[in-house]
Amino acid sequence: MSAVLRQSGAWPARIAVFAYPLAFILFPLAAFLAYSFFWTEHGTMSYALTLGNYQRFFTDPVFLPVLWQTCVLCFEVAILTILAGYPVAYFLAGLKGRKRYVLLMLMLVPLLMSYVIKIYAIRSILGGNGVLNRTLIWLGVIDDPLTFFVFNLNAVLLTLTVLLIPFAVLPIFLSLERIPRNLIDASADLGASAAQTFLRVILPLSLPGVVTALTFVFVLAIGDFLTPQMVGGQSGFTFGRIIYSQFGTAFNWPFGAALSVILAIMVIGAIAIGTVFGRDRSAGR
Amino acid sequence: MIRDSKTPYWLVGITGLVFILLYGPIFVPIASSFFALKQGVVDWQQPTASAYVTLVSNEGILVALRNTLVVGGAAVVCSLILGIASALYVNSGRSKDRALLQFIIFLPFLMPPIITGLALLIYFREIEFDRSLVTVIIGHTVFVLALVYRTLLVRLQSLSRSLVEASYDLGASGWQTFRYVLLPNLTSAMIGAGILAFALSFDETMITLLVTGTDNTLPIRLWAMMRLGFTPDINALVAVILAFTTLLCLLAARYLMPRES
Amino acid sequence: MTTERLLLELKAVSKSFGQTEVLQRIDLAVRDGEFITILGPSGSGKTTILRMIGGFESPSSGEILLDGADISALPINKRPFNTVFQDYALFPHMTVAANVGYGLKVRGVKNAEIETRVGEALQLVALRDFAGRFPAQLSGGQRQRVALARAIICRPRLILLDEPLAALDVELRRQMQSFLKDIQREIKTTFLFVTHDQEEAIAMADRICVMNSGHIQQLGSAHEVYYRPASEFVARFFGDNNLVEGRLGPSSGDRRRIETPLGALVCAIDGQPHLAAAPEGAAAYAVFRPEALSLASTGSSEENRAHGLVTGLHFAGAHTLTSIRAGGHEPVNLRLRLPSKVEGVALRAGEAADLYWRPSECRLVLK
Repeated sequence: MSAVLRQSGAWPARIAVFAYPLAFILFPLAAFLAYSFFWTEHGTMSYALTLGNYQRFFTDPVFLPVLWQTCVLCFEVAILTILAGYPVAYFLAGLKGRKRYVLLMLMLVPLLMSYVIKIYAIRSILGGNGVLNRTLIWLGVIDDPLTFFVFNLNAVLLTLTVLLIPFAVLPIFLSLERIPRNLIDASADLGASAAQTFLRVILPLSLPGVVTALTFVFVLAIGDFLTPQMVGGQSGFTFGRIIYSQFGTAFNWPFGAALSVILAIMVIGAIAIGTVFGRDRSAGR
Repeated sequence: MIRDSKTPYWLVGITGLVFILLYGPIFVPIASSFFALKQGVVDWQQPTASAYVTLVSNEGILVALRNTLVVGGAAVVCSLILGIASALYVNSGRSKDRALLQFIIFLPFLMPPIITGLALLIYFREIEFDRSLVTVIIGHTVFVLALVYRTLLVRLQSLSRSLVEASYDLGASGWQTFRYVLLPNLTSAMIGAGILAFALSFDETMITLLVTGTDNTLPIRLWAMMRLGFTPDINALVAVILAFTTLLCLLAARYLMPRES
Repeated sequence: MTTERLLLELKAVSKSFGQTEVLQRIDLAVRDGEFITILGPSGSGKTTILRMIGGFESPSSGEILLDGADISALPINKRPFNTVFQDYALFPHMTVAANVGYGLKVRGVKNAEIETRVGEALQLVALRDFAGRFPAQLSGGQRQRVALARAIICRPRLILLDEPLAALDVELRRQMQSFLKDIQREIKTTFLFVTHDQEEAIAMADRICVMNSGHIQQLGSAHEVYYRPASEFVARFFGDNNLVEGRLGPSSGDRRRIETPLGALVCAIDGQPHLAAAPEGAAAYAVFRPEALSLASTGSSEENRAHGLVTGLHFAGAHTLTSIRAGGHEPVNLRLRLPSKVEGVALRAGEAADLYWRPSECRLVLK
């Protein structure tokens, strides 16, 4: 490149910019990967390499089903957020001028609001004595508080969905916004009805955004352990919670590390699939 | 809700419903904070500010608030310095080590926070670095760096390369070019990214939970309080935190929104 | 203003980006005080030459000499040259005055002196009243002038201009051309101007360096380049030249014959010894401009002549371009430029026309 900036490629600059990311991102992740091959017994660490942790994961009847259950749950969350998020994104993308971005901002602002508080609030809304049940009783729809969404996997599903909707809206909105106006005009000009235009032009062109949304939400949901911990109760056990418990109550760090490596592989896999299917084919690359 | 003439009503309806879903969990605690709590149930007949009084006199919460502000401030400063350095470095050319640097910086953003947190936890134990607010600051910096870096890089890339060339051409040194040409054009992006980073750090729970020692930050304190059950001051604390975060969001939006010229 | 003293010399300069060689062993000497234009189509390497002189790129091989000393390794900010960039590169966060004074400020010049010199420079470009404005508040032509003021304020030895007029509309371009030329005369500084526009080059330059695909095709005055092209590329690059292919015949003094489908033509070769030396039978073109052709009613017998049919008339304002198919079994298309008249030109499509042109206006280029 240009000679102007070549001087900044010198070794001192390189060391300066690499030092922190290496010391506090790459090395910890490497240590973490290494840990998954160690083992522990009665609180003493052994640094002898072993595949035992992974073996335990695949042979113990508990872990694989929980992982599978968690994946299904997170996939359901992703589908729900897209079902709720697509109409919103479509509505926002159809707005003109300033109000479009103001509303989009309003949609994103709750993301910056305290995560713990939102979980807590949703729990108190959903709870046996919560706003939802009391409203329903007050309206006379039900006589006794409903319990199928209190302290179980359903509660986790609902809470995660509410928390993660904005992550579905944003990528879908961006892909809808990129569709050139004249394509929609051209479709109408060729005699298509509004519904036909949506099904044959808009929906296919916005699919990359939908896939990105799916990946986003899935990855965020599968890594979360706060929500299931807080609203899952005894039955709402997820993979994230199991990992967290290895570092708390169970105190088996190497096994926790191995489980996390498996989680990381799932996440990388989801991102890879999302990248392949979410590629914008109309961009011609 | 604002509606264009051709938009069907059901679309407006769904959008409205989603907004209620998103804002409900924020407004319910705020509203309840002004009412008394009876056996864990909000008594809507009895407005009171007593929760706020309890809050102000709660030593533990005040300490947690101070810790949160210290951590947030330090993480913002560290991530801005690292973010500028990395963005300048990556923007100055195209080579494999630049792509690698960017990849490493993005890792904590791609991986679930539990993995970043656990990796740091294990690493700090192995290098025998005691957990404290310092480790929390390191963890938060790692977490927000990707965002700060990305924001600054985008701003740098939007500047014409010829501006830097023009500065050198007129006789400026590398430092003068940075000081007089690049930095003034990065200021608003730095402020915006800094506020956003602060808001993220202010709310960060998962990594903090794993890398903190005995010190609590506000979300950790909240997390502990909520696990024990309802106390009236939780709602008040929630209201205060939300008001503060809203303020931060408005500020960030002001600096990051494209200016109309 | 031009002296014969050399300011800058490029010696066997080559430049490659990866596998692509953009400049191949360029030799170029810039005289002190001249207005030299590097002209070429996009991708010809003209901007690369400018960027290497400015220090933005370093040559892959060869030397760049300033007053006889090699400056290839000198960083940009140490070279006594300043650049007017194609996109002006005005600092958007600084006022006009701060932009213009930037070069002095970074050199540690005192504020009072900066103020005086900025005032002078803005006076020169007639922007004194705009000192407090920001670049975004200026028109294209005004930004251009700020960029120029910023470049001249440090009194550089050489000012490099990288297609600075490309973004302006036609009328403003004309004004800026004469404005730049006037400024150059006034401050007596060497200008190296890069453009792809032939008319612009002819209107402004003392000397034009025509480039194509990494090579210098011709270096000479505007008149020379226009009337005495050194290569087929140059002949074709300047407008609607007629090129008639043929084989070289014998030469006599300053004239040489060429056998073409139009018969034997006589061409002038004065000042081009390589044409006198070329072997007989070598492939070449006779080159003559459309305005050199006249309708033959009074022409004398020894001049170059052609007879043909008018195939088309293209009214283009001041003149009318006429296409004529001339010659026998191997017809040649010729273009003739006639002054337009309100009642139309003397020719109609489909009519026969007799043409002549003087040997002094007919040149040769080797194929």
